[in-house]
Amino acid sequence: MSLLELRKVTLSFGGLRSVSELDLVVKEGEIVSLIGPNGAGKTTVFNLITGVYRPDDGEILLDGRNIAGLAPHRINELGVARTFQTLRLFLNMTVKENVMAAAYARTRAGPFRAMLRTPGMRREEREIERLAQERLAFFGERLMGYRWNQPAYSLSYANRRRLEIARATATRPRILLLDEPAAGMNPAETHEITELISRLRKEGGYTILVIEHDMHCVEGCSDRVVALDHGVKIAEGPFEKVATDPKVVEAYLGLGGTARK
Amino acid sequence: MSDTTPQLPPGPDAPVTSPAIGRDEWVARHLDRRLPPRLGILHERLQNVPWFAWLVLFVAAASLLPAITSSGYVRRVGFDTVLYMLLALGLNVVVGWGGLLDLGYVAFYGVGAYSYALLDSPHYDIHMWSILSIPLVVLIGAIVGLLVGLPSRRLSGDYLAIVTLFFLQLFQTVATNGDQMFGHNVTGGANGLLNVDPLDIFGHDIAVQHEGVFAVAYYFIALGVFAVVFVALRFVNESRTGRAWRSQREDPLAAEVMGMPVNWLKLTAFAFGAAVAALSGSLFAALNASVFPLTFYFVLLITVYTMVILGGQGSQAGVVLGAIIISVLLELLREPSHARDLFYVLLGAGLLLTFKLSRRLAIVAAATVAFGFAAHAIADAIDHSWVAGTAGAWASGWVIVPERLASWVAPVSYVALIAAALGLTLVRGLLRTVLLVPVLYLATFVWENVMLAKPEPTRYIVLGVILVALMIVRPNGLLGEKRVEVV
Amino acid sequence: MDTDKFIQLTLDGLTLGSVYALIALGYTLVYGVLKLLNFAHGDVFMVGSYIGFGVLQALGGPADPAVPVWAVLVLITLAAMAGCAMLGVVIERFAYRPLRDAPRIAPLISALGVSFFLAYSMQLLFGAQQRDYNTFALGGGDLYFKGFHIGGVRVPLIRDIIIVSAFVLMLVLWFLVNKTRTGKAMRATSFDREAAAMMGIDIDRVIVFTFILGSALAGAAGVLFAIRVPTQVSIGFVSGLKGFTAAVIGGIGSVPGAMAGGLILGFAESYTAGYWPGSAGTRWTDLVIFSILIVFMVFRPQGLFGRADIKKV
Repeated sequence: MSLLELRKVTLSFGGLRSVSELDLVVKEGEIVSLIGPNGAGKTTVFNLITGVYRPDDGEILLDGRNIAGLAPHRINELGVARTFQTLRLFLNMTVKENVMAAAYARTRAGPFRAMLRTPGMRREEREIERLAQERLAFFGERLMGYRWNQPAYSLSYANRRRLEIARATATRPRILLLDEPAAGMNPAETHEITELISRLRKEGGYTILVIEHDMHCVEGCSDRVVALDHGVKIAEGPFEKVATDPKVVEAYLGLGGTARK
Repeated sequence: MSDTTPQLPPGPDAPVTSPAIGRDEWVARHLDRRLPPRLGILHERLQNVPWFAWLVLFVAAASLLPAITSSGYVRRVGFDTVLYMLLALGLNVVVGWGGLLDLGYVAFYGVGAYSYALLDSPHYDIHMWSILSIPLVVLIGAIVGLLVGLPSRRLSGDYLAIVTLFFLQLFQTVATNGDQMFGHNVTGGANGLLNVDPLDIFGHDIAVQHEGVFAVAYYFIALGVFAVVFVALRFVNESRTGRAWRSQREDPLAAEVMGMPVNWLKLTAFAFGAAVAALSGSLFAALNASVFPLTFYFVLLITVYTMVILGGQGSQAGVVLGAIIISVLLELLREPSHARDLFYVLLGAGLLLTFKLSRRLAIVAAATVAFGFAAHAIADAIDHSWVAGTAGAWASGWVIVPERLASWVAPVSYVALIAAALGLTLVRGLLRTVLLVPVLYLATFVWENVMLAKPEPTRYIVLGVILVALMIVRPNGLLGEKRVEVV
Repeated sequence: MDTDKFIQLTLDGLTLGSVYALIALGYTLVYGVLKLLNFAHGDVFMVGSYIGFGVLQALGGPADPAVPVWAVLVLITLAAMAGCAMLGVVIERFAYRPLRDAPRIAPLISALGVSFFLAYSMQLLFGAQQRDYNTFALGGGDLYFKGFHIGGVRVPLIRDIIIVSAFVLMLVLWFLVNKTRTGKAMRATSFDREAAAMMGIDIDRVIVFTFILGSALAGAAGVLFAIRVPTQVSIGFVSGLKGFTAAVIGGIGSVPGAMAGGLILGFAESYTAGYWPGSAGTRWTDLVIFSILIVFMVFRPQGLFGRADIKKV
């Protein structure tokens, strides 16, 4: 049962073909990794799926429904959430508020009910706060306690990455798009992220599409790996097969390189 | 670009001066300047006082104004200040929470005022009860806000600023020329609309004046409206809408992708701000019994912006404080005698803030006084008419006030003062302290002779300087949060 | 179809538009390198008109100048250009440079403060009343009586001077921006300031140069404006507003865009004034211009000649 399917998706910027006739399938409950050298178009694919860009051609199907061309907030409502390669937190808002804000699409109390503080609105606020606590508790004690009310900019880098994931899960998505979640992390933290991704699926039930460069992480968490280069899919399959695929090796290391674990 | 030696980053024990990405605030605070124990405890206790307690306290204190003074003038200023506070609250929604640079904001104030005037005056002979006309005016304001927001919703900061500023100009044009709109006199043109009805309770007018003096009822009504609006806006900000507004201010793309409809949110921010402005406009029109186009123009816009920026955009308490300070400042600057004293007070306060209670402060103050007396004496010796003019009672032996001013003196000394003040920012350390003394004296000369003579432009020059200085020195204002921004 | 009226209106539009174009150029140049809308620019224009007035008086006044008429005009224009250039440099140095790395809203608000400060300082020093150059008195009215004819319409010298001067200045500017090294540095900085700095371009110098150019043009525009219409301290705001509307319509950051935008605005104003039913045309020019602005903002926000911004996410 494919949750997300890209059919012949194409996007050009001026004369540059960024994504070229891409076919991609992610089945419900899967963890798929998207790899490829820088500039391969991986983040562009994420932008296409989340509605930031509109494809020139092709279809993007979520649960069979074409979401290409919809507004990004609509796409999020339909169940797609993401994190960003360069963190995009709401820096001057508190940790708690960052996560609570993401519950917007799942809640309904408008400004007028807020002004009057109707019982329904207050109930919803408590719900949102509980949801935020729950999402943050997923990461253990790191984002709890006094950090709750600290501005997001005061967190350490690794914590900011975790916060962004927590925020994404607060939108109650069906599929999570994680853009280089392990970027800038040391081996211990990378290991933790790898485990986290598996936990997200196991405990959260999310389907996950990950862009990653760190092959340990890719190997450790993926069911399947898809390799892109210059906007074209060049390989697909389990990690061992893709990692040793000559085309993939060439894309990363150039001609004459060899794949190494 | 001009530094040649690379600077080492500050070490772990260096004093923490500003928020930065990755710097844990809770930990950092312990490295910060620490307050002495008693003050620290007091500070902590004060932080825990709930906000509505402050509001109640404030409103209670403000209500005492008519009891403290029976001067109609002061009470009237109080009313005007409350209107400013309302305007500041409304602008805070758009700029502080929504992050939208709405330069047409006071046009909504005008829309409110004119709408009320049209609904409650002999112009079309409608005399709607206030209980109906005021909500209607608020609704009109919100709708106009939405309409202005519509073409702007996809625009970024700069373009939004232009479109909204042009809307302000447009409002001015329509209001001024509205007495000949295709043969209909809609807005009364440059002469405005007159004989606007006062507020009424189910048809019973609340007189605008009581025995020839400003009716206190209006002050209390305005205060009540202020309290309600403050609370209502605060509730909205602490709800999902407020969070969404602030999220799209922080990062519109991320907000959009996290399920928040950014375009719609911009519209609602606009509409709320406009509604508050329109509400204030109705009160304004009712009290003044007339509306004129020129009230709602660039000068008022900058005034309200200065209030919001000074107080701290994003903080309701801040913008209220800013409104009070600027309103009082502008009033004091109207009257040369008040303005003169205010200047010296501010000068003193400025020196105190810069040098704190230190030896330096004493030296600078003493030097300036000595310099002044010396200069005065020299000028007197050269030509007595140079110091024969009238000055404030206690400064007359010190500041040079010529009997007559040659026409070139004003521009030359003014420009010289500006050049000197700017030049001061270029030098450092001891040289700066030394040069400060003659510059201070020159400032008093310019103030006494040039600026006091014309209070009107002087008030606004002061506002302009405040704005520029604020942005450079303390962009978060008095009570605003220091923001971190990834540029 | 009244050809004479049309020609007259077109001339009006050209005259107005040339001045707007000069103002718009200043905005567009500064926006290009700093991404800042310099709200104080309109007031620099106003100061330019006052400098021209002052120098005119210093030369003996329009009725009895110490030098020939053409020299008077050249001198007051140069004086205004020089004065405004200096003013622009000072403004940049003290009000904008400290905010170079601050969030975008900060220099914008600072610019508003500077605009206010300039306008009211001028009012403080020189009063709020109108100042009339009274160029009619120059050379006994020659500037108005002499001229050449197009169809049935006489084009007085004074309009020719305005239009031609404006175009000459624009040509000079175009040359400076496109054919000199500093111009190239300006264009590089407007694309990517950091990259330009890394290529060895002295950003501070480029920015100062830009302000000199833009402000000088504003000064010239101030004189060209005031030789026909009396000036006063309040014209800064509206002229500035129209100037950057013109820049935005033409495509902010683009030099030909500013010229085109200025002319469009000039024509819009004159044709509205001339062809609006009844005699109410002059009152509703703002409405027409606003509508044009909105149309552009909705359908083509990058303006006529602007580049559509592609954001990298």
